[in-house]
Amino acid sequence: MFSCLFSGGAVVSQSHLGGAQITRRMFLRSTGAAVAVSVMGVPGLATTANSGPAAIGATASAMPGVASQRIDGLAKVTGQKVYARDFNARDMPGWPQGQWYAMYMRALTTGSAFEGVDLSLLPATAQPTRVVLGNELNEVLRAPKLQFNRDLHLQERIAQLRAKGGNSQNDNSFDLPPDMSYDLIVVPGNVPDYLGQAVALLMFDSLAAFRSAKSAMQFNDAAFQVYETTDQDSPAMGSAFSPQTTYVKYNDEFSYASADPETYMDQVGDYQSKIRRSLGREPDLIRQPFQADMRAMDPMFMEPEAGLVWIEQGTGTMNIVLGTQSPDGDISNILSMYDSPDAPEHLQAVNLTSCYPGGGFGGRDSSPFSLMLALAGAYSDGNPVRLAYDRFEQFRVGLKRHGARLSGELVAGVDMKLEAVQMNLTFDGGGERNLSPYVASLGALCAGGSYKVPKASIFAEALHTQNITGGSQRGFGGPQAFFAVETALDDLAAAQGWDPVELRAANLISLGDTTVVGGPIEQPLRLDEMLEIASNHPLWAEREAIRQDYGSRGMTYGTGIAMSLQAYGTSGDGMVASVRLEPDGTLTVQSDAVDMGNGSATTLGVTIGPILGSNAARVDMGCYTLFGQTGLTTDDPGGERWEKPNWTAKSVGSSSACLTGLHQVHTVQQTANALFEGSILAAAAQIWGVAGVSASEVVWRDGALGRITVEGNQLSLKTLAEEIHASGLPTGALGHAYFQNTWAQAQYQTPGGSLLLKLDGLSFYHAGGGDPVQIERQETRGPDKHSTRYARYVWAPCINVVGLTVDTKTGAVQVENVLSVLNAGHIHVPQLVSGQSQGGVAMAISYALLEDMPPGMDGPADGMWNLNRYHIARAQDVPLRNVYTPGLRGQELITLPQPEGSEPAGRGIAEAVMCSIPPAISNALRDATGKRFSSLPITPTKIMEGLGQ
Amino acid sequence: MTLSFTVNGAAYKLDEGRAEERLIDFLHEDLNLTGTKFCCGIGVCRACTVQVSKPPNPTPSPVISCSTTLGMVDGSAISTIESVATDGVPDAVQQAFLDNFSFQCGYCTPGFVMAARMLLAGLRAQPIPEEQIDAAMMQAIGSHICRCTGYARYFEALRPLAVAANAGEGN
Ligand code: FES
Ligand code: FES
Repeated sequence: MFSCLFSGGAVVSQSHLGGAQITRRMFLRSTGAAVAVSVMGVPGLATTANSGPAAIGATASAMPGVASQRIDGLAKVTGQKVYARDFNARDMPGWPQGQWYAMYMRALTTGSAFEGVDLSLLPATAQPTRVVLGNELNEVLRAPKLQFNRDLHLQERIAQLRAKGGNSQNDNSFDLPPDMSYDLIVVPGNVPDYLGQAVALLMFDSLAAFRSAKSAMQFNDAAFQVYETTDQDSPAMGSAFSPQTTYVKYNDEFSYASADPETYMDQVGDYQSKIRRSLGREPDLIRQPFQADMRAMDPMFMEPEAGLVWIEQGTGTMNIVLGTQSPDGDISNILSMYDSPDAPEHLQAVNLTSCYPGGGFGGRDSSPFSLMLALAGAYSDGNPVRLAYDRFEQFRVGLKRHGARLSGELVAGVDMKLEAVQMNLTFDGGGERNLSPYVASLGALCAGGSYKVPKASIFAEALHTQNITGGSQRGFGGPQAFFAVETALDDLAAAQGWDPVELRAANLISLGDTTVVGGPIEQPLRLDEMLEIASNHPLWAEREAIRQDYGSRGMTYGTGIAMSLQAYGTSGDGMVASVRLEPDGTLTVQSDAVDMGNGSATTLGVTIGPILGSNAARVDMGCYTLFGQTGLTTDDPGGERWEKPNWTAKSVGSSSACLTGLHQVHTVQQTANALFEGSILAAAAQIWGVAGVSASEVVWRDGALGRITVEGNQLSLKTLAEEIHASGLPTGALGHAYFQNTWAQAQYQTPGGSLLLKLDGLSFYHAGGGDPVQIERQETRGPDKHSTRYARYVWAPCINVVGLTVDTKTGAVQVENVLSVLNAGHIHVPQLVSGQSQGGVAMAISYALLEDMPPGMDGPADGMWNLNRYHIARAQDVPLRNVYTPGLRGQELITLPQPEGSEPAGRGIAEAVMCSIPPAISNALRDATGKRFSSLPITPTKIMEGLGQ
Repeated sequence: MTLSFTVNGAAYKLDEGRAEERLIDFLHEDLNLTGTKFCCGIGVCRACTVQVSKPPNPTPSPVISCSTTLGMVDGSAISTIESVATDGVPDAVQQAFLDNFSFQCGYCTPGFVMAARMLLAGLRAQPIPEEQIDAAMMQAIGSHICRCTGYARYFEALRPLAVAANAGEGN
């Protein structure tokens, strides 16, 4: 019995009893040495979770496929230790009790050189046990080579640039990251690269000393840091992080996707001129210029980042407790930090306890926190170390949604047809590169909105600035781009006297069209149906009457509509999952996904129900090391790709809520299918005494398997499990899937016959433990390399209608009603989808109207920002009723029913609703006031300015 | 002089010198009760809400433990989220939040549970006209911050319990 990460379910596996235990190992090469990486169970859950009401439906206690509550719900609602912040060394089995506390001092300027720290003002009781400055770190530890393998098409672009030596004129930033990393701790004598960069690590061997130092130093940093008095520029300020993104599309003739990757950039200039010339030849075309800007935004997940690290001296084992969305990337970056002959510790093993994150929204994806924690571990004389940001620090250094400036032009014919879009997107990447260029790149794709646009010229980049580092955030560049497009469309409609819905309807992108990247739309979007639903809804259809009604009460009311076409997944996604049938007939699911609260653990637990007759009793998340057991590799020096029997294009990626609905569910279901058809049916045939039985001949009823045409002899999962465990049939399956427009698929020979599965790797577990045995894959078919250049393949369209009132005397805005029409595909757990949508609505209202964070030292980089200054939506700011009721506040979600007989595939929707609310709010304000507000957040001050008051 | 109070029924006596320490730190560090959550630390988000009763006032009130010192709870009975479920079986509020999928990451949840329980106790003790229930719920949990859910499912879950408590049902 194995179990990884957190088992939040009704039944907790044996391996958790007595605390954390090693579950999986993967060996990674680092300077020639092998490092064992293991994912551990969160200690303690075994004693408190029980097989009571937390069951999501195990052993026929609820409908297979249906969740009665979150699988992690009981642990969370009763206050058990599930978050990284909850743990201290004393809670970790086998750890020494003495715990040190780490604190980083943060750079206050990028305009002069940092000289050192002066702690003389600290009382004796507050003095650190150890002070570590940047010059004490070897180069590899100080500036590790960080890997952010996010988007295959951008990785290929970077590789291409590397090969060219980075001399291409449009990629003059190539000497910047990824080859350049800023120091984790500034070396004295150097000018800090960004505000909030660490300038010193202080280590305390007691909580009391840590607390007194903290209270002495908080809000008073300048008294403890010394800077040169002369001004000096920080190097490379304002440079673009590599790569920048250029999408130029000229009808069907030229695009990023269709052009030869080798020569694409060389042809871009010619095609930009061609676009200009061809548009210039048509004087009747209507041009709608636009510009928009938005502040950075804090993800404000509720649990400030925290974690523990303990490096066992002598064994070189790093034990680390984290709440991260990207365990794989974090651990490999930590390994590269310690990957040098003169590293302070030579790591032989890493044991990761990856906890439930207290919120994520992208802010815990590739967060620098993991590195800062791992760094502290080397300076504690072998003691465990706790690093726990408070909210001020979290605001000061936590990853942000990028502040951005967007400008450009929409060009349309008199027939309302969009002819071209031109857009420049500049993202404030802040200090570290992180995922900024990838975010900018997705923003560029979103510049085309939900529309068919024959000509496009889009340029997006993220700049290195002194500000707080930007990273992945719900929507990933989409919120900024859709805001620009959707407000511009309304301005175009208003200027021409067009109906905003008709203008949109005239331009909807659909099957067979291509995006601004040139990639084909191969998935039904049904935007026309959605637009019809939205425009026939009373919130839109009766908007004039509603306005009059509010007007009669002295209130200024407006209605706005906006659409978004948010992609989910990346340009190539790999996922891994295992499904096992335990001897007692219960089921365990393991996945590399992390549940940030989005409910993926619950969804994956029930998604096997219809296939295996019961929901999972255990779901273990964050088990990314399972990939090491698949026998697959991403190495392909010979360029054989799918011809190479063990090759896959991507192992696993970071966890994003948007990957659950389609990608993770598919992987778990295919793996469950492999177990069902490859083993369970064979066991059933043995018991029934028939030569073989096919899936179409059987049916699950009340948790027991029976034959459709033969009465009786129903087999419970327990009976089947006994047969399987006794007769040597596979007790579980381990599957890996790869999606890039299509799924990689192969044929596998199993005890149940030859199976065609949309998996590129399959192994079987057998009774008695041991590693799973890989099944040779045959007749493999995988996506070709080229389609990575489509950038994205699958979409979660959303339309939002917002009705709001604005107080023209104070500038205060109240969102009265929201309608969201969403194509979520097949809905696995309706409550989770609506919950994600409601969370997206609240966050979007907050982003559009409330969350205001100035850059530089006027903002949180000064260490003095908290929720008293950074306002996020509370219940009063959000319509709470879940149906539209005239005269009352509400938010209604309409999800498109799926056509009969369509494949029950979900779509990743977490980000979709977030994207079109802010432009719908701005459009509603325009409707209410006649003014365009294109700078987010739209604060009362901006509104009063806009109204000329 | 000593400070004395109870936490989940257990009595503690502390040196008066600790009067300025924050209640949340005492819960986390001394008692290893980490179900009470730390988020803003400055009294805004209410994630750290615990229940405090101080004689002679019999009605418990919500207290934000990040901004409350041990001196302030001298003589009080404090209850935290760890005391709410009985033998692992959730109370009515917890069960309603579970059934309604009210929370996601769950980090704000202990604060919502504690505040909601005190609302129900208050309604039972002192019923209000039914049309004021929405306002009472807003008063009780409306200033709690939750980043994940958009609040709707918390209010949906709580409303029937509030109506029932107001009618004198439940306990
Ligand atoms: S932690 Fe936010 S109010 Fe106490
Ligand atoms: S559920 Fe995550 S903050 Fe409320």
